[in-house]
Amino acid sequence: MKKLLPLFLTAALLLAGCGKSPEASAGATQASGGAKKITVALLPKSKGNAYFISCKAGAEKAAKALGVDLLFDGPTDTDPAKQNEIVENWITLGVDVIAAACDNKEGISTALRKAQSKGIKVITYDADALPDARAFFVNQATPEGIGYGLMDEAARLLNGEGEFAIILATLTAGNQQEWLRHIKNRLAEKYPKMTLVATRPCDDLKDKAQSEATALMGANANLKLIMNICSPAVPGAAEAVKQAGKAGKVKVIGLGLPSENRRYVKEGVTDSIILWKTEDLGALTVEAAVALVKGTLKAGDKSFQSSAMGEFEIKGDNLLLGKPFVFNKDNIDQFNF
Amino acid sequence: MSAPVQTSRWKAIVLRHETALLAVVVIEWLCFNAIGPRFGSLDNTFDILRHSVEIGLLALVMTPVILTGGIDLSVGSLLGLCAILFGKLWRDAGLSPLTAGGCTLVIGALAGGLNAGLITGLRLPPLIVTLGTYSLFRGLAEAITRGADTFTNFPASFLFLGQERWLGLPTQAWLFGAVAAGVWLLVHRTTFGRSFRAIGFSPEGARYAGLPVQRRLTLVYVLAGVIAALAAVIYTARLGQAKADAATGYELFAITAVVLGGTSIFGGVGTVHGTLLGVAAIAVLNNGLVHARQPREVAGMLTGALLLLALSGSVAPKLWAAWRARSRPSPPPTPSSTTS
Amino acid sequence: MNRYFRELSVAGALLLVLAVMAIFAPGFFQPQPLLSLATREAPTLVVACGMALVIIGRQIDISVGSQFAVCSVCAGLLAAQNVPTALVALAAVTLGAGLGAINGLLVAGLRLPSIVVTLATMVTWREALRWQRQGAFVNLPDSLQWLGLSQSAGQWTLVGLAVALLAVLAYVTRHISAGRLVYAVGTDAEAARLAGIRPQVVTFGTFVLLGTLTGLAAMMNVVQSPQVDPKSGTGLELKAIAAVVVGGVAISGGRGRLWGVFAGLLLLACVAPALTHLHVEAYWEKAIQGAIILLAVVADGVRSRKSNR
Repeated sequence: MKKLLPLFLTAALLLAGCGKSPEASAGATQASGGAKKITVALLPKSKGNAYFISCKAGAEKAAKALGVDLLFDGPTDTDPAKQNEIVENWITLGVDVIAAACDNKEGISTALRKAQSKGIKVITYDADALPDARAFFVNQATPEGIGYGLMDEAARLLNGEGEFAIILATLTAGNQQEWLRHIKNRLAEKYPKMTLVATRPCDDLKDKAQSEATALMGANANLKLIMNICSPAVPGAAEAVKQAGKAGKVKVIGLGLPSENRRYVKEGVTDSIILWKTEDLGALTVEAAVALVKGTLKAGDKSFQSSAMGEFEIKGDNLLLGKPFVFNKDNIDQFNF
Repeated sequence: MSAPVQTSRWKAIVLRHETALLAVVVIEWLCFNAIGPRFGSLDNTFDILRHSVEIGLLALVMTPVILTGGIDLSVGSLLGLCAILFGKLWRDAGLSPLTAGGCTLVIGALAGGLNAGLITGLRLPPLIVTLGTYSLFRGLAEAITRGADTFTNFPASFLFLGQERWLGLPTQAWLFGAVAAGVWLLVHRTTFGRSFRAIGFSPEGARYAGLPVQRRLTLVYVLAGVIAALAAVIYTARLGQAKADAATGYELFAITAVVLGGTSIFGGVGTVHGTLLGVAAIAVLNNGLVHARQPREVAGMLTGALLLLALSGSVAPKLWAAWRARSRPSPPPTPSSTTS
Repeated sequence: MNRYFRELSVAGALLLVLAVMAIFAPGFFQPQPLLSLATREAPTLVVACGMALVIIGRQIDISVGSQFAVCSVCAGLLAAQNVPTALVALAAVTLGAGLGAINGLLVAGLRLPSIVVTLATMVTWREALRWQRQGAFVNLPDSLQWLGLSQSAGQWTLVGLAVALLAVLAYVTRHISAGRLVYAVGTDAEAARLAGIRPQVVTFGTFVLLGTLTGLAAMMNVVQSPQVDPKSGTGLELKAIAAVVVGGVAISGGRGRLWGVFAGLLLLACVAPALTHLHVEAYWEKAIQGAIILLAVVADGVRSRKSNR
């Protein structure tokens, strides 16, 4: 028996480790049980990503104003099954509504349908699931809109001709592939004099994007533009262009946050950043989720009245956030996220 | 690296290790049950079971691999490769899910055979061989699908395997149970199991004792490949889709579970039921922390801490005895005075 | 010839790659991009040197990527508070040494298996950092970039520093008794102990050295751009281990040279840009890297089987 001691100590320490959690959460659990507080579960594509942290900030504000509980959790690694597991955990946890940014359209729809069958409301934001797996999609920009927008912006900067390259997060990420497809479609139908010379992954790492951009410029002497479709790649590519002394000669555009790119936009290395107001996206998602639970948002509605941000249009089952912004040297200082 | 220790003594430690690990799982369970009102529900228990089947399968076959003193870093990547090949066989070659599944198991065996061939044929260290195939298998999966191709819309009869219940339990739990029983019997009730341990303690010694070391090693790596392929089919059925990034990082979860279960990474020592408890400890922790409304990062940190504590716990008595022996040469220590 | 077979064969493979590039994509050999490539890989070289010593001593450390990220973010946060650059560097290196010492204490002090210990610390540091920082970039003051030097001077400094460290470590490990101890312990810890060496102290030392070098590498990476990505260093452990193994260091300890590691790292570092220059589609890259690692070890295995007969 005495020899068991060390391992019981292990167990006790573990208990101490998770023993801290009850205090932190007991209040919330009791409150939701007592006052029937609505619990909104917000699922990002991944944790540790500045884009979703910005969404979360907006969501938290909205949750506070509406007096609902907000759960924010998502995968910490890239395995596609993790999002499903979190959703299934939330189903048994008994949340009222799940708002998901979907990494894998088909994969997560399995779990979201299951949630709906258990009476949990489901909406999606940022990236949609299959239409039958959710009630509404808070649409900040369609994949088509993003792809066409980026391609048109690239063509505008290059006057419709020249070589360009794309840096993306990983070759397997669903949304990246979808954007890439629309970029290629637009290229094929409208800009015959432009060529896409390479598509390179950066594993969602700024440092790797910098190395990739350096190699791309070396390998393609006539490269005129680098298009980055994941947020860490934009500052990475800009730094590479700056260090190669090619600022202005090789243009940089992409999807990213103003805070991470302000320096390069002002220096004239990065030409334009396309993004929507991420905080508003988070806030609108939470407001719509709560409205769905309360029954004030129903299928067939033509518009949605937000309590803090005015009225939003609904097209079919898509709740439209509004057009993406193009940030450039002139307006980037107006945006602080 | 490992200090030579007497077998009987290790055995005693292992016994105690599993008892304590069981206690950890029970304490976790009670603790989370007190926090989360729905944690103890049958639905949630089935969730835990379904979510841990693939990692559990990989951990099960990793146990004999590590018992022989080897390691297989390629199982997660192989799962990804098998998942997309299964998808290709079903969608593009038009095979029924059952036939496609059978072919996938064969592919898994071949991939495991590649590992085995390099390890036994050329006597290369398993860590390096499987580090290479870890990149190779994932790379092939990406190259075949060009990263983008996703296999989906599987028939409901196939999805039954991953998403429904059969005879009261999640369907895949039956398969998991069968594999667990099979591996347990292989390791604990056949001479194969004893030869794995012998190889783990000393491959040279095992060879001089007349064991077919190369054949036994081939068996464990091929088995790992086959079970990784089985896990790939179950994974595809659970998610309803197959893509090249399936099961990224699962090899580390599997190794963590095996080591937490008391198997020595140097080989020779370990049990299959220990591994199952290790899988349970991690799965309950991951699930329970969601019910405790803690973020995922905490689950990762606690898993790391749990692993370190379990390891330190397992060597603490030995170190304590050594320290006592050094500081007080006489009288010889009695078991009853080892407290505090 | 035979003694240096492995190092020479890696160097030969590297020359082959360069020859292919010279024929099919001469654009690869422009001075500015090559200098940039070397600068980007300099931190990895520093980590790989430390990793080689740990592996020669028959241990392994898979937590270096997480250590690198923790050191990078801490250095970035200090620099953002306008702490002088020298102090920032000192802090990064000290923190790295501390993290290495934790691994070292667990491995050498408690005699726990290094692969499991560092698996646990890898997960713990990475998740703790994500929990604390939530993935936000750290913006740095301009004075930090290139240590206040001009860009090309900064790049040459970093590359020079990495190569100088390699040269010093290569000399120390082969010709100074402190370095020979690592080989002695890696070959046979028990024999080393009987010869009067304290293997646990040597093992502890190699982990602290690797941590220190990782902290330094983190600093060398931080000064290359005006922002710190808290995810930096992801996969660094695999890069470093692959370079060490391809460079001819035996994973079973006691054998290998740092110059081989240098050649191995150059080979692996050239692969990705070479594929870009040859316009090979990116989805082949992982498979090719895996094949290179396998080829390197298979070549080694075939050769050692032949020499055993």
